[in-house]
This record gives sequence, structure tokens and C-alpha cells, in this order.
Amino acid sequence: MKVLLIFDSGLAGAGGKSNPNVELTAKKGIIGTGEMMEPYFKKIGAEVIATLYCGVGYFKDHQEEVVKKMTAMAKKLNPDYVVCGPGFNFEEYSLMCALCAKSILENTTIKSCAMMSAENSTTIDQYASLIPIVKMPKKGGIGLKDSLENLCELIDAEVNHPEHVEGIKTRNCY
Amino acid sequence: MFDKLEKYLSPVADALSKNKILSAIRDGFLITVPIVIVGSIFLLISNFPITGWSEMVASVFGEGWETYLDAVTSSTFDVVALTGVLSIGYCYAREKGVDKIAGGVVALTCFLIITPKTHIAYVNEAGKAFSGFSFGNLGTSGMFLSMITAILSVSIFAWAMRKKLVIKLPDGVPPAVMDSFAALIPAAFAMVTFFLVNIIFTNTAYGSAHAFIYEVLQAPLVGLGRSNLFEVIYQFLSTLFWFFGINGPAVTNTIFSPIHKVLTQENYEAAKAGIAMTNVFTSAFSDFFCNYGGGGSTLGLVILMAFTGKSNRIKTLGRLSLPAAIFGINEPIIFGLPIVLNPLMAVPFIFVPVLNTITATIATSIGILPITAGVQLPWTTPILFSGWLVTGSFVASLFQLAQLAMDMAIYFPFLKMLDRKYLEEEAITANESDELDDLSFDDLVLE
Repeated sequence: MKVLLIFDSGLAGAGGKSNPNVELTAKKGIIGTGEMMEPYFKKIGAEVIATLYCGVGYFKDHQEEVVKKMTAMAKKLNPDYVVCGPGFNFEEYSLMCALCAKSILENTTIKSCAMMSAENSTTIDQYASLIPIVKMPKKGGIGLKDSLENLCELIDAEVNHPEHVEGIKTRNCY
Repeated sequence: MFDKLEKYLSPVADALSKNKILSAIRDGFLITVPIVIVGSIFLLISNFPITGWSEMVASVFGEGWETYLDAVTSSTFDVVALTGVLSIGYCYAREKGVDKIAGGVVALTCFLIITPKTHIAYVNEAGKAFSGFSFGNLGTSGMFLSMITAILSVSIFAWAMRKKLVIKLPDGVPPAVMDSFAALIPAAFAMVTFFLVNIIFTNTAYGSAHAFIYEVLQAPLVGLGRSNLFEVIYQFLSTLFWFFGINGPAVTNTIFSPIHKVLTQENYEAAKAGIAMTNVFTSAFSDFFCNYGGGGSTLGLVILMAFTGKSNRIKTLGRLSLPAAIFGINEPIIFGLPIVLNPLMAVPFIFVPVLNTITATIATSIGILPITAGVQLPWTTPILFSGWLVTGSFVASLFQLAQLAMDMAIYFPFLKMLDRKYLEEEAITANESDELDDLSFDDLVLE
């Protein structure tokens, strides 16, 4: 199973607040926070083929372009699943996650989800009915490992066991 | 092993973080931190660690110039129990979902009710005993009582509110008036309770609730804070939680922060009284001699990443993270390297702060590292400056440098392993040739 990750520059290990204007970048394979997620992906036989990212400052200034290009790149790479997150309680990045997941689901045949903490209530209220948003703790919160397992459970079900998706979404998503 | 450990740690972290009482105490003291830091600046100016400083300033502003600065220092340090009870009361009212500022004010009033107001040991020339509140009760010695009072009084206040024991005014009365009347009976319940508490304690051998709580609770608990294991356990647990992505200090401070605070304050009071400071494990010791560059003492790691990293990822991340790391912020590497849930980095990340603590404790006990004064600086104060300012000695800055070198030596082999792994991945990526090689957003066709 091929997975594509969409990060912000902080999670990508390219500097977050210290480097907010990183332009759209694509890297082959796993980088940054992806290393933390890799063991969980391996458990469901998923391989991260690439990581796309940009700085949150760049996203704020070029919102439409970022969403369009992320979607186009996902279409070009054609993975089985696109994970937009983990957004933690980072407000702008979580919005980017929701918008990218929504655009990918609407404009491609690729499955996708966003992942963020409950602190992003505005984004969750607006998009939870349109896209799967996996629950997770805020930065420094409790339950990060469980939330990564829940993410992988959803990915595995969406790709391999569609009959289980609804139950898993009810449990693991907002 | 990590899975098993997390199974035990997560419920503990969850219970501590969600405990409304502990969270209110932690957050309440956090509210007072900026005030104490500003007070510390005044304290630092009046006791600047330069020989002949006092005389030099006196030659410009005249003798007794410190008195003006002491007015600010004293109004922050000497009344920590007073500001504490107000802010803890406020935070606990927030946790209980009742009027926050009313909760804070009720807590403050209840604390003053049980605070002694006549001091027969202090008599003036006319033979009249001092009448009023004394710093002895409003400062360090009253800190644990301030916590207990805030929690108890707001509990009573919130209980009465929940039971709807309130005066209801007709519709159309302005909300501010409505709120103040709504708080009247709940406030009365709390104040009457503390009126009785005061009578009870006044008639015991202790003489006051202050003396009772100090002797029975504060002194023994703070005594634990003086044991050599206190800081080691704090540092170990704080970084262990971080490894699982949990903000360690946010959990551990619910228990350790009040003790750190009292130990720090006691040093301030000792210095003020002209006696030797004896407490090693102050907030400043914890912030400036156990951790450099954030949790896990990662400043040394970031320096190594920036200047010895071979893989592009480590080199780039190190250089980008260095400015923030100097000011104690390591978020970019916590999630970017990453350190969270990364077993390879677990050993140095967890044990470097512990080793720093042990070496700093030994250095203090043999007299190399001076005991930290009561000064409380922002935890973002950079290495070298922080050591000098909190001890008044350049030796402390040199000691920080030595610790940084030790941290780097411990992190080095682990970083090299990670660097080698990333380097190999980068080499494989460079040698492999597939459609993912030339990933670029520039030539995308947008529909």
C-alpha cells in the first residue's frame, strides 16, 4: 500500500516557526515526523512513497495554490492513501490538512483523511462531515501513540476492508 | 518495552493532567510567574553580581538606592502566598465552571480571614503589639496554606452555586449587578466556614492555621524537595513523558512545582535575612543547570546536528533549530528529527538531563557551583547568561559550558547512528531512479 504524507515545514524537519515561508516542496520517502509514524504504517503494510510540505506562512499567503498543487501532485503520484497530518493543535496547518484532504477526495479517486486535535474546533466543525478527521491529542497531550494506531486502522480499512470503515470512522474520527 | 512503559505512564499522566485541583495549583502559580520574574529583575539590579556594584550606583543615586527597588521585589516575593491564593482560586473556579474572578476574590478573602492579624511578639515602644498582616504569613511560609485555602473555599463557593443557593434578582437588572448578588450567598458560605476554621486553629496549640499547615504539611513536603533524589526524579519523569509525546513538565509540575517554588523563595528570604542559602533544587537550578535547549537538554544535540551532521536532513534541521535552541525551545527537533517515539534517541534524551542534574548537584555540594539565589528568570534565558545571573558567579557559566560539552559527548554516538541511517537513505534515493526522483511542483499540470 502506497501512502503519501502532507506536512507543514515543521513536521517535515525543515523548520517550523523559524522557517514559515518554505515553498511547496516534495521529498521522496519519509522525512521528519514521518519517521515517528513509520512503525505504525509498517504494521498495516503501508510504505510512504513521498512527503509533500510547505511552511504555514506560505500556505496562508497562497492558500488556493497550495491546495491545488498538493492535489495535483497527489494525482500525479497516485498513492493508495494521502494522510494530511498530524496537525496537532497547529491551527493553520490543521486547516491546510482539512482543505487538502477535501480537495483530494473531491478531485481524485484517491482516499484521504486529515488528522488534528480537538483544539481546532472551527476547522473540525466545518469539515468533519465532509472528510474523515482522525482524532489526536494536542502537542504534548496524552494518547499520541493510540491516535497513530487509530489512523492506521482507518487507512487499512479504507483501502482493504471497506466494510469496516463506518464503524472505525465513528470510533476514531470527529 | 516502550509499549509496556506507555501503558503505565499514560494513565498516570492523564490522571495528573486532568486532576482539577492539581491543574488549578499548577496554572495558578503560572499566573504569578511573570510578576515574580519582573520582581527578579529589580532584585537583580539591587544585587547585581559585580563587585562594588552597590557603591558604584550609590555614588550616582545616593545611599539607600536599593530601598526603592526593594519596594517592587518585596511586593512580588514577600506576598507569593497572597498572589498565589488569588490566582489558584481563579483557576479552580475556572475548572469548576463558576465565576472565575469571584472565586479568586473569595479565596483571597478566606485566606486573609485565617491569617493572624495580631503579633504579640512584636511590640512597639509604647507597648502596643503589631497589628496587621505580616510578610511571614503572606510569603513563602503561607504557600501551602494558600493552595489548600483556594481549593477549599472555591469548592464551597462552587457547591453553593451548583445548589442554586443564590439571590435571584428580577430580569432587567444589569448582568454585573446580577453576578455580584449571585455570588453573595456562596461567598458567605465560604467565608463563614473559614471564620470557624480560624476560631478552631486559634484555640489549638498551633495558634493559627498557618502554623499548623506549615508544620504538618509544608515543612515535611519541602523537606522531601531537599533530598538528593528529588530533582533527579523530576528530570527523569519530565523527559520520559516527552518521549511519548506528552508534555512532561506539564504533568510533573502538578506535583513538583509548588516544592520548587518554596525552595526558591526560601533562598530569597535567606539572602534577604543575610544568612546562607541552603536549598539546591530551586526553579533556577532546574531550568539552568539540568536542561539546556529545552526538554532532554537538546542544545548540545542541535549544535552537533548543525556542525557535524553529514546527511542533509540533520544538517539542515540542526542549522534551522539552533537559534530557537539557544533560547530553550526544541519543538523543531522534537517532532522534526524526530525524538518523540524514536527509540534510538530515547536513551540520551532521557538520561542527559539526569546526568546534568547529578553532576550539578555534586558540583554544588563540593562548592564548585554556587547555590542559586531566589532570582527567577524566564526559562528562555540563554546558557552562560543564565548561570551567571542566578548565581552571581562566572564559574557557573563555565560549569554550564562543561555540562554542554558532556551533553554533546553523550548525544554524539546516537546522533551519528541516526545521521548514518539518514545518509544511507539519501544515498539510496540519489542512486535509485524512478518516477519519484524529479518531484517538483513547478511542472505540475493544474486542471
